[in-house]
Amino acid sequence: MHEIATIDYIIIALYLAGMIGVGLWFAKKHTDFEDFFLAGRSLTTPLLITTLISTYYGIDVLFGDSQLGFTNGVVAWFAYARPTYAFFLIAAFLLARRLKEENFKTLPDILDKYYGKKTRYVGAVTSFIYSLPALSLYGFGMLGEVILGWEPILGMLVLGGIALIYTLTGGFWAVALTDSIQFVLMCVVLAMAFPFAMKLIGGFDTMVEVLEPSYFDTMGDLSIWLIIIYASTGLSILVEPTFYQRIFAAKSYKNVRNALVIGIFIWGSYDWIITILAMAAKVAVIQGTLPFDVAPDAALLTVMVAALPAGALGLFMAGVLSTEMSTLDSYCLVAGGNVAYDIYKPAFKPDATDQELIKTTRHGILLSWVLGFAMAISFDQMLGLWVFMASILISSVMAPILLGMYVPSFRKPLAGFLSAGLGLVSTVILNIYIMTQGVYSAEEETFIIQWFGIDFMQEFIMYITVPISLISFFVGVVFDKGEPS
Amino acid sequence: MNNWEIFTWITVFILGFGSVAVFIFFVKDIKEILKKFNKK
Repeated sequence: MHEIATIDYIIIALYLAGMIGVGLWFAKKHTDFEDFFLAGRSLTTPLLITTLISTYYGIDVLFGDSQLGFTNGVVAWFAYARPTYAFFLIAAFLLARRLKEENFKTLPDILDKYYGKKTRYVGAVTSFIYSLPALSLYGFGMLGEVILGWEPILGMLVLGGIALIYTLTGGFWAVALTDSIQFVLMCVVLAMAFPFAMKLIGGFDTMVEVLEPSYFDTMGDLSIWLIIIYASTGLSILVEPTFYQRIFAAKSYKNVRNALVIGIFIWGSYDWIITILAMAAKVAVIQGTLPFDVAPDAALLTVMVAALPAGALGLFMAGVLSTEMSTLDSYCLVAGGNVAYDIYKPAFKPDATDQELIKTTRHGILLSWVLGFAMAISFDQMLGLWVFMASILISSVMAPILLGMYVPSFRKPLAGFLSAGLGLVSTVILNIYIMTQGVYSAEEETFIIQWFGIDFMQEFIMYITVPISLISFFVGVVFDKGEPS
Repeated sequence: MNNWEIFTWITVFILGFGSVAVFIFFVKDIKEILKKFNKK
């Protein structure tokens, strides 16, 4: 562990106190549920840019991208990050306008309109599971350990607890505002880190000389099947609950479109710098500046601690905490909304008042945090959990939402229910089966099972579950003899 | 300076100055929003 100066600790403490302050300021200012959950549908372009970018860039990106950059080089950006921008463009020009035309509040609202209540509940369960903050809390455990020398559970409780407090009290206004502060902190600090990292390793030319040529091969040495899966994780954008929430919370469609188009440049720059910093970490390991056994997913953090001076390091750490807090708060809020607005209100209390909904949303936020915490401390291997959570969303709700949105004659209740239900169930069963019956490969960093003579990786589950969801959808369209919704 | 390095400096510029520019516009918007809350 390197030296962290008092000034660094002061910066981190000020940042954390500021986040709580924002939440408490908004605590009593909400007039109704729409104000609490969607900030009164008044987000402008700058607010949308800041909240979209900071929400999507959690610790999984910071460490996931950097891990791939550290082990494989620029392919991390070309194969893993870059395809996502194409999906953002699709969302900006094809999806957002349609979503904005209706007065939806949540993703299950759409399923309800197209296919009825049963599909709404399946969508609500899917969205709730997907939004559990297990990965974020795991990340806080790791950050607390690396940055502050804490036990992982203490990091989860204290750092995750602060994000919980301001989300519970301040609702979406607090989330959007803290996201904006977190956005500028994480971007500026990352931009600032590049010259320091280059100084540490002796410049960019040294990096080109020291690293294997494959580090600068745009497709690296990954298998085509893995590249397709990495690229297709970007599909989740098209049905992402927090993304939808921001579209619904926007002032107008134009605000969303402009935010996404501008955001792509910032996203791309952010991903690229992370990749380069991770490659710089690899050079530092080869040069002996960093320990040879540094974990690939901790390489970025380690090289920054080594490269940055006092004060700048405190800002960087606050920036890293920001990255995670802005993700945790957004997902907890969506999960809380699923409990209150998508399940409690339609199933138990259709005449619930706005104040009751806000109260139940807060209970839902707390529930999601507790469940996420339980998962974070139960799983040793978080990558499998991440794959499970990403695949559940794409396999369950993508087909019914997108097909229903563009082909109104497909909006038949049986189609939506079968597609979402069987997609959800098959994903859960297959993930549990592979994680319990398969073997964990340290080399591939995933669970693998032997099927018909091939090594079937956990990441490949979507090759089965997405077709199941699609086929079920068309079976439902054929067998449901009623009129479309 | 090779092409990779030039590209990296461009991204540093976009990320650093771009995020600050977005934040300045955000501050302008947030003033109006906070005024609305204070009236409430």
